[in-house]
Amino acid sequence: MTATTTAARSSRDPVLARATALGLRRLLTTVDEVLEEGGAAAASPIRQASAIAVIRNPWADEAPLSDLSAATSEVAPLLAKLLTDRLLATLGGADAIEAYGKAAVVGLGGEIEHAGALIHTPYFGNLMREFLDGTSIICFSDSRADAGSDLRVPLWHKRQAATRSHYQSLDVHLADAPHREEIAVIAVASSGPRPHSRIGDRTTDVPVDSSVLKGLEA
Amino acid sequence: MKARRIITIIDETLLEGGRPVSPVARTAVVAAIVDNPWAGQGFVDDLSEGIEAVASELGALLAPRVIEALGVPLEAYGKAAIVGLDGEIEHGSALIHTLKFGDHFRKAAGATTLLPAVEKRGPAGVLFDIPLKHFTDATIRSHHQSFEVRIADAPHPGEILVALAGASRGRPQQRLAPLSTEQ
Repeated sequence: MTATTTAARSSRDPVLARATALGLRRLLTTVDEVLEEGGAAAASPIRQASAIAVIRNPWADEAPLSDLSAATSEVAPLLAKLLTDRLLATLGGADAIEAYGKAAVVGLGGEIEHAGALIHTPYFGNLMREFLDGTSIICFSDSRADAGSDLRVPLWHKRQAATRSHYQSLDVHLADAPHREEIAVIAVASSGPRPHSRIGDRTTDVPVDSSVLKGLEA
Repeated sequence: MKARRIITIIDETLLEGGRPVSPVARTAVVAAIVDNPWAGQGFVDDLSEGIEAVASELGALLAPRVIEALGVPLEAYGKAAIVGLDGEIEHGSALIHTLKFGDHFRKAAGATTLLPAVEKRGPAGVLFDIPLKHFTDATIRSHHQSFEVRIADAPHPGEILVALAGASRGRPQQRLAPLSTEQ
């Protein structure tokens, strides 16, 4: 799917309309095509994408430690749909995605638990797995930060999380977000392994324990 | 020309000042990280050889990508050259301030004006803002805007980051009187 069709469709997307009514201010989509690494061309160019939603913190006006379940079930599925739509359009469908990850950054007026509420429940994670055709638990980062911060979001294989070649992470810059009463919710995906992955795997590892330090004890 | 990475950014602004933005304001940026053609050569008096080798190819690479990423008709545009710490700002200017480079974008966008630009030198991960102006009349005040970018891990000391930016419309809640009302 091209950006053109995504743009045309978004003008009448009911999920987008609902999210905007709930305070969705911005959507950012980034794609990083890594053509060369370590001075050598990547065997197959890796494409890492991020999709970021900046939305009003649903609990901005609530007392501290309030119940989070109602707004979680309302907001998180909308964000899962909007963000995965953009990852799929950018990378060329679920078959083109091999690794994924997620993150949330709550503005200074919110609780870290608010960030977690929007990404750590089935209302986000199950939908993201379904849309991206994955089965693994989704690795993540979360934090509280002022607008303009940077975040590095981890990814791993969407079906076999222990696949070492797919351990990677992606830098995300949050210009002008999140404001004090906002949350930035982030989904990331990658088309493949690291450009020159060559550190073996569990299947090739020799047994290793602290005896490798023998002779270096203080 | 050898590009290490190509980064695409698409921004959709749906709310501004607490009010809906209609139509949604879209901005797209495409940045390429390339080797500085003059790296390791000391002070080069005549930059034309490096310009000839890189500028047109770079413009041809970036222009169709930013049009495609924007996905809707373009109304404002701009460009950027961020030089790694071992280079001169003049090296970045050399790659973007030629018709060889800019005409690819003007032609693809049906544009006629000069592209506003940011040129600076900085470390990998340096923050920069790309200015954008209206694509056929740079005096149209509603379309004066800029877009913040930070690319981690670029440019390295011997590299140059070159970017193009396009926007679908003017500022989300633009409501300033036009220049003509003051003349």
